[in-house]
Amino acid sequence: MKGYRKYFLNKLGWFAITFVFAFLLNFILPRLMPGDPVAAIVARQAQGMSNSSGVQAIYQQYTELFGTDKPLLEQFFLYVRNALQGNFGFSFSQYPRTVTSVVGSAIWWTVVLQFPAIIVGWIIGNMLGALAAYIRGGFDKVLMPVAIFVSNFPAFGMAIFLLVIFGVGAKWFPTSGGYGFDLIPSFTPKFLWSAIVHYQLPFWSLVLIAIGGQAIGMRSMSIYELNADYVKYSRFMGIKDRKIVGYVFRNAMLPQITGLALAIGTMVGGALIAEIVFSYPGLGTIMLSAVMGRDYPLISFATLIITIMALLANFIIEILYGFIDPRIKATQAD
Amino acid sequence: MQYSLRQAFRSGKFVTGFALFAAMLVIVIVYPLIITYPPLQIIAQGTFFPPGIYVSTYDSVNAPTTYTLNLDDAAAKRIASKLKAEDRTAMKEWLVAAGIPESEIDAADTAKLLAQWEANYDPKKQVAGMTFARSRYFQRVNTSISGLLSSEGAILATKAPDTGALQQAGTVKQTDYVNVSEIPNVRLLPLGTDNFGRDVLTELIRAAGVSLEIGLVAGIIATLIGLTLGLLAGYVGGVVDDVIVFITNLFTVIPGLVLLILISFSLGQDKRGPVTIAAVIGLTYWVWTARSVRAQVISLRNRDHVNLSKLSGHSIPHIIINDILPYIASYVIMAFILQISSAILAEASLSILGLGPRTTDVPTLGLMMNWAMIYQAHLLQKWWAYLPVLVTIAMITFSMNLMITGLDQVFNPALRD
Amino acid sequence: MANVVLEVKDLTTKYITRFREDVYAVDHVSLKVEEGKSLGIAGESGCGKSTLALSLMGYYFPPLYYTSGEIIIDGKVISGMKPDDVRKSVLGTEIAYIPQAAMNALNPTRKIINFIEDVILAHDPTENKKFIYDLARASFEILGLPPEVLQKYPVELSGGMKQRTVIAVSVILRPKVLIADEPSSALDVTSQKMVIKMLRSLMDTGFIKAMIFITHELPLLYNVTDDIMVMYAGQIVEQAAAREAVFDPLHPYSKGLMGSIIVPEAGLRDVKLAAIPGVPPNLKKPPAGCRFAERCKYVRAECKVTAVPLYAVGNGRAYRCILAEQVLREAYAHGQ
Ligand SMILES: Nc1ncnc2c1ncn2[C@@H]1O[C@H](COP(=O)(O)OP(=O)(O)OP(=O)(O)O)[C@@H](O)[C@H]1O
Ligand SMILES: [Mg+2]
Repeated sequence: MKGYRKYFLNKLGWFAITFVFAFLLNFILPRLMPGDPVAAIVARQAQGMSNSSGVQAIYQQYTELFGTDKPLLEQFFLYVRNALQGNFGFSFSQYPRTVTSVVGSAIWWTVVLQFPAIIVGWIIGNMLGALAAYIRGGFDKVLMPVAIFVSNFPAFGMAIFLLVIFGVGAKWFPTSGGYGFDLIPSFTPKFLWSAIVHYQLPFWSLVLIAIGGQAIGMRSMSIYELNADYVKYSRFMGIKDRKIVGYVFRNAMLPQITGLALAIGTMVGGALIAEIVFSYPGLGTIMLSAVMGRDYPLISFATLIITIMALLANFIIEILYGFIDPRIKATQAD
Repeated sequence: MQYSLRQAFRSGKFVTGFALFAAMLVIVIVYPLIITYPPLQIIAQGTFFPPGIYVSTYDSVNAPTTYTLNLDDAAAKRIASKLKAEDRTAMKEWLVAAGIPESEIDAADTAKLLAQWEANYDPKKQVAGMTFARSRYFQRVNTSISGLLSSEGAILATKAPDTGALQQAGTVKQTDYVNVSEIPNVRLLPLGTDNFGRDVLTELIRAAGVSLEIGLVAGIIATLIGLTLGLLAGYVGGVVDDVIVFITNLFTVIPGLVLLILISFSLGQDKRGPVTIAAVIGLTYWVWTARSVRAQVISLRNRDHVNLSKLSGHSIPHIIINDILPYIASYVIMAFILQISSAILAEASLSILGLGPRTTDVPTLGLMMNWAMIYQAHLLQKWWAYLPVLVTIAMITFSMNLMITGLDQVFNPALRD
Repeated sequence: MANVVLEVKDLTTKYITRFREDVYAVDHVSLKVEEGKSLGIAGESGCGKSTLALSLMGYYFPPLYYTSGEIIIDGKVISGMKPDDVRKSVLGTEIAYIPQAAMNALNPTRKIINFIEDVILAHDPTENKKFIYDLARASFEILGLPPEVLQKYPVELSGGMKQRTVIAVSVILRPKVLIADEPSSALDVTSQKMVIKMLRSLMDTGFIKAMIFITHELPLLYNVTDDIMVMYAGQIVEQAAAREAVFDPLHPYSKGLMGSIIVPEAGLRDVKLAAIPGVPPNLKKPPAGCRFAERCKYVRAECKVTAVPLYAVGNGRAYRCILAEQVLREAYAHGQ
């Protein structure tokens, strides 16, 4: 257990460092652009859309709140202070809502869509990959090219395909939104049913993409493990093949978990774009409308939240991994 | 290296991927040489014209020669294209409503149906229970079929410039034909037009070219950064290694797309040319190359031939170039191919978010996708505006991944079948 | 006449490659190991030593296939038995194997004791864990391994300890024959010594009755085994007592191989493989005559015509060359 605690603390420290770093990046990147710091973005927008004095006021407010006309260091402390108070400013495009409230209402849609999809895709993909490695032959020959093709297919492409085939063509599922446009989010059966129906296409398009990549990874891991020396040795000690296959898949699965932790950043990115295709009311769609509305505070906050989500997911997976793989505890012990 | 290349060309997967990719390259290079339309020119007034051959009506009417062809099925085809099955049943419905006994109407007998219709239809007649929209529909049907059975031609008239009176200039008979090759203005639009009215195929091929360029530039940048950092970390080790590993780990967990979004948005629309976008992608996507190069170099670092080189007093650059690079070349090539395809996807994702290259000078695959999505081509079932783009993206990435898989099997024998 | 523990008659096995070609990596091999004796097998890389070891187990899985011949362990014919029966009543109990890459022979995510449980339960599913633990502990103690090792994962053990653990696990069911395939080549000198000492003690402590020891390191073989067999291109080219094989080799290949062992520096060990110029023949299409002819200094025209049999010269000695003992010895005396 001592080994695990060390591993946990190590990961926790790492999580904290990446968190701080992501926060810093989020602050500094827009301000580092040559000749085009945040002040310029804000000013540009103020000029471009100053038709109403109300809009002008919003930008003024933002400039004041974050001191975008002050030196960088001062800006940073202002930013941190505001962030600690949970204050990330008003949304330019959805004034008078704050960006925290805009993102707050979108984030659950994204979380509920993406994480189950990634997990389901991971499980199915691993099972298929393991089967392909074990059975080989025809199954492998069919599955692998399909998996390679699917995993190379951009997430938005898969989304569009499903949308066109099952939404526009067969009309089995609605084509956009997270629930019927005539409903108000609530916990009524009618609303829940509508949400579930709207959930299917985005969900399965993410699952399919995840399956492809995972199946390929699991297949090569399993083939590698099947050729490992311990397999041969175990056989020659008279252990049954069924048991050995158990060893192999367990061992092949473990790196897949770390693989998932590493890939989660990419998956989250792809999923955001898929949301846009379905106009799903999550962070991806928010991001698109923020870009369209040149809503700087909203983009900044949404990217921060997405980064934190990815970091958190990564952290959780690694923590679980430490539990499952005995090698982690063992190597940390001394 | 040469041997490995020859090996690679023995792998079916690699060859297939390579052939696909080479074919696309050839098309991208050769097509603009033959067909020189400007790719972003707006030619169509209106959105999403379907694929096909567009023949100038004016030129056909004024064609130098008209030919007379007596084709038996011409009339039938003409009627069929105007009078769909649902129109026939609708007509029957109207006639029944207007009081004709149902037994006397045969919707399949075109001539009789049209005769009955002509005899009975009266646009002013109010049929009980018929909505306004429905009666408008019948009026439309009526105009489209009027004179359908007549074998008379249509009269061409010109307007006298001074009086404005119409003067007969000629007739077009139903048996008149023109030879398409004699018509000066025919435009083939194999993939129709997009929402702006641009020729999708020409635009697509240019876009594929630009996207490949973006991929290439981004791939080169990412590979150079990744290779340099990986070599430094792996070979020099110590503090340098710690720092580089730290940075690499940071960039692994922070989603690359998020960084891209932040940078692209901060850059502003007018600064975002294709090359800038490529550079930005290259600057954010080097992490995997750095990781794998480092791992490779570490395993090579203490091999005998490297030690020998060190003992002979060779400089670090000399050792890296002569004793390390040749051994990791295959991995670097694989990583490079992977970078290209992920950069193309990254550009597409960025563009869909509205953060792609500025839209005025060149199309990219991502921009075309973005336009199709904004104008809802997918919901309007205008497949030619988005499907070819998707297929192109998929073909590029698929061919590259086939190449990588093929190479992987050549270099990692355990993965062979 | 001592009890013969392992007898192999005319064993031939082949690999079938993925291009459907046959590779006869063990070609009509016969050998005998008596109780209390050990046999060393030597030869260049790729000559089929490991394949022979695998073939002796009587348990074949792709791409290795049994072709012909007989394997008899302690009077029991195991070639031709059903694979399931071999697995259950031969592997680990009659004959055990320490693979060439013993470092990776243990499943990295399983504790040693759990693996031992798997091994024992595979042969007798009724055994209880307590009994297994006591047995394992006792064995480890006799073999001088700390019993704590049982509760560890392979990653927690040092290289030498891992190697010795694999040996201890291999003999846990007291097999009659143990085959050790290059058990020491990846270790440092101290660990090597410990491993060799441990292997030699196995017979004294009654864990095994006979041993086959495969290695490149010929000096080692001379110290460890009673007899030596030299292989070339899937065939036996020389069989003799250890002392004779090393100091009075008959076959030109053995001579070349043995001659090259006396190298001053340990660091140059790899050079020895190149000591005989040329490369072994391709086993997919072995030459019709003597397989060593291409590389032999003493080659004659008739060598390349017909296959050369193994000539027995008494005292358990045999060699595969058309030249007479006397001729060879003279040639060696003049040649070097
Ligand atoms: N899986 C396989 N498929 C086809 N041929 C094989 C296979 N494994 C080994 N061979 C061939 O069989 C021959 C004997 O190989 P083996 O591993 O028995 O040699 P070895 O004497 O143990 O060599 P080393 O000293 O390197 O361990 C070699 O020519 C090799 O190419
Ligand atoms: Mg071997």
